[in-house]
Amino acid sequence: MLTRDYRDIIGGALLIIGGIAFSWYAAHQYDLGSLRRMGPGMFPMALGLVLAVFGLMMMVPAFFRAGTMPEIRIWSPLFVLSSVVAFGLLIRSFGLVPATLAVTIISSMAELRIRPASLALLCVSLCLIAWLTFKVGLGMPVHMFRWPF
Amino acid sequence: MDIFSNMAIGFSTALTFTNLFYCFIGVFLGMLVGVIPGIGVLSAITMLFPITFYLEPTTALIMLAGIWYGTGYGGRTASILLNIPGTIANAVTCLDGYPMTKQGRGGVALFMTTVASFVGGSIGIIILMLFAPVIARYALSFGSAEYFSLMLLGLVAASTISEGSAIKALAMVVLGIMFGCIGADIYTGTPRFSFGLLELTDQLSLIALAMGMFGVAEVIATVGKIEVGDVGKTNVSMSAMKPTRDEVRRSWFPMLRGSSLGAFFGTLPGTGPSVASFMSYALEKRVSSEPQRFGKGAIEGIMSPEAADNSAEMTSFIPTLSLGIPGSPTMALMLGALMIHGIAPGPSLMTEQPSLFWGLIMSFWIGNVILVILNVPLIGIWVRLLTIPYHLLYPAVLLFICVGTYSVNTSSFDLWIVAFFGFFGYMMRMLDWPAAPLLLGFVLGPLMEEHFRRAMLLSRGDFATFLDRPISATVISITAALLVWGIWSALRARRIANQAAMEQATTG
Repeated sequence: MLTRDYRDIIGGALLIIGGIAFSWYAAHQYDLGSLRRMGPGMFPMALGLVLAVFGLMMMVPAFFRAGTMPEIRIWSPLFVLSSVVAFGLLIRSFGLVPATLAVTIISSMAELRIRPASLALLCVSLCLIAWLTFKVGLGMPVHMFRWPF
Repeated sequence: MDIFSNMAIGFSTALTFTNLFYCFIGVFLGMLVGVIPGIGVLSAITMLFPITFYLEPTTALIMLAGIWYGTGYGGRTASILLNIPGTIANAVTCLDGYPMTKQGRGGVALFMTTVASFVGGSIGIIILMLFAPVIARYALSFGSAEYFSLMLLGLVAASTISEGSAIKALAMVVLGIMFGCIGADIYTGTPRFSFGLLELTDQLSLIALAMGMFGVAEVIATVGKIEVGDVGKTNVSMSAMKPTRDEVRRSWFPMLRGSSLGAFFGTLPGTGPSVASFMSYALEKRVSSEPQRFGKGAIEGIMSPEAADNSAEMTSFIPTLSLGIPGSPTMALMLGALMIHGIAPGPSLMTEQPSLFWGLIMSFWIGNVILVILNVPLIGIWVRLLTIPYHLLYPAVLLFICVGTYSVNTSSFDLWIVAFFGFFGYMMRMLDWPAAPLLLGFVLGPLMEEHFRRAMLLSRGDFATFLDRPISATVISITAALLVWGIWSALRARRIANQAAMEQATTG
């Protein structure tokens, strides 16, 4: 237990900063118009201010109560997110099979332990499933293999 | 037209071979996703969303809806057998379902909740059939002020009634509307918040946002946390499912109470099955003459929430189909499927597309019957599914998310959006911010802005237009009352918590 609820203090502060920045950007970049004929900037500007108010309402009471901190993991999220990015990088120029392998292998590391046999089996079966569902079943216009160079 | 000719239109649409087939696929997948903990209904629908591009709009909706109510049947399996909720709406079923399994009554619990799901679902469909046309007829006279007020009510109701902090939920709604502002302005065409990126001059893709925030973030949060349970001991043969006469007698009223409560909460925009099931459990405990039995395997404690869950799933189609206002993120995806096929959702849907409207509703009957068949004789297969380890499952989920997102626009940019919202969704979990209100705000935001600006234009900049029109004024006052109630109950909860802490400090 912590003496203050830092989770909500941080969250509230992020909302206040985000809201004000959004509001400021909308007011400076876009035409506000009038209440009768609103420009593109009016609605976003108002939203940003409302968000900042909610952020304040979240933050202030948190100073006066005890709170807990969640356990923050770094490696598991990193592996999962990189697997999505890897798919995006590979699919267009290299095709579905390399992209599938990348997702399977990189995301499997998010468990933080390697099971070589089951990983190999998973790679083979997911490539087969991907080919059967998307290419054969749905007829999606994607290449299975491609060599861009 | 009376209700029977509408039913005839509906059945003639729903009973074609294609529609029957995709109805089966939908409920089968829904059941599958519901059984396996760690894949939510939203991730499932978004993953399969791209498939619907290749289908007729009616067939597409029948399949998506099947996934939605199929999870209502599947979700309780893990709750009862493993004490892990298959979906959020089934979390409350753990409380009495798991104790029943430990007493060797797991088979009975599974059978009886199938009955409860079917009864709840049926009552929900009947209410949907009776009320959706009436509401749609009224809604034809609605103007922009009414639409804006109704959407505001939906967002506020979603934030204040669901569990957790109302302030946080409201903040997430606003954040969602802000994400919805990205893209070209509806009246002037000015690209907003595009930061010079060509891809951002369009709206952010709903699919990419939902896949990131629910699919990817869910995987991140669950990886390495789920242990495979031991379900081998539970007997699920037909004879083990036979309830005693006492159990049947105890089940009737909870089932009917749960169904009506669920039907009510489903209709309200913003609240859905999870609120309904929690509320009905609380109600059962309060009206029971022996509340001490709850939590130790009381059959009332599983019948009522399961009936409420399924009934709410059906009636949540009322605001979606008759007003075009989605009450939940899942319903928003259904409307998205309609709009992709160029069909404008709203009160005129029923008169312009009667075969779609009634075909969808009649397919619910068929789907519910299929689900009973899938659940009673074939339950053993589903139970075995629970033994698949998560480390084999989640790479497959991620793969489907990636291919699904990519196929919508064949653009890698949408995958960067998925990764961004995956990160953002994980951060939100760490900060204890709820994700569902954000998605609801994202979907309703652009519609709200459009109606707000149009209403203000028509009233020449006078805010009084929202209070001058009677329907709008009623809706606005309900919204205000909800806000006051939400803040008041939050303050009261804090005072009680403080008192408890003080008492603990003085006695201990």
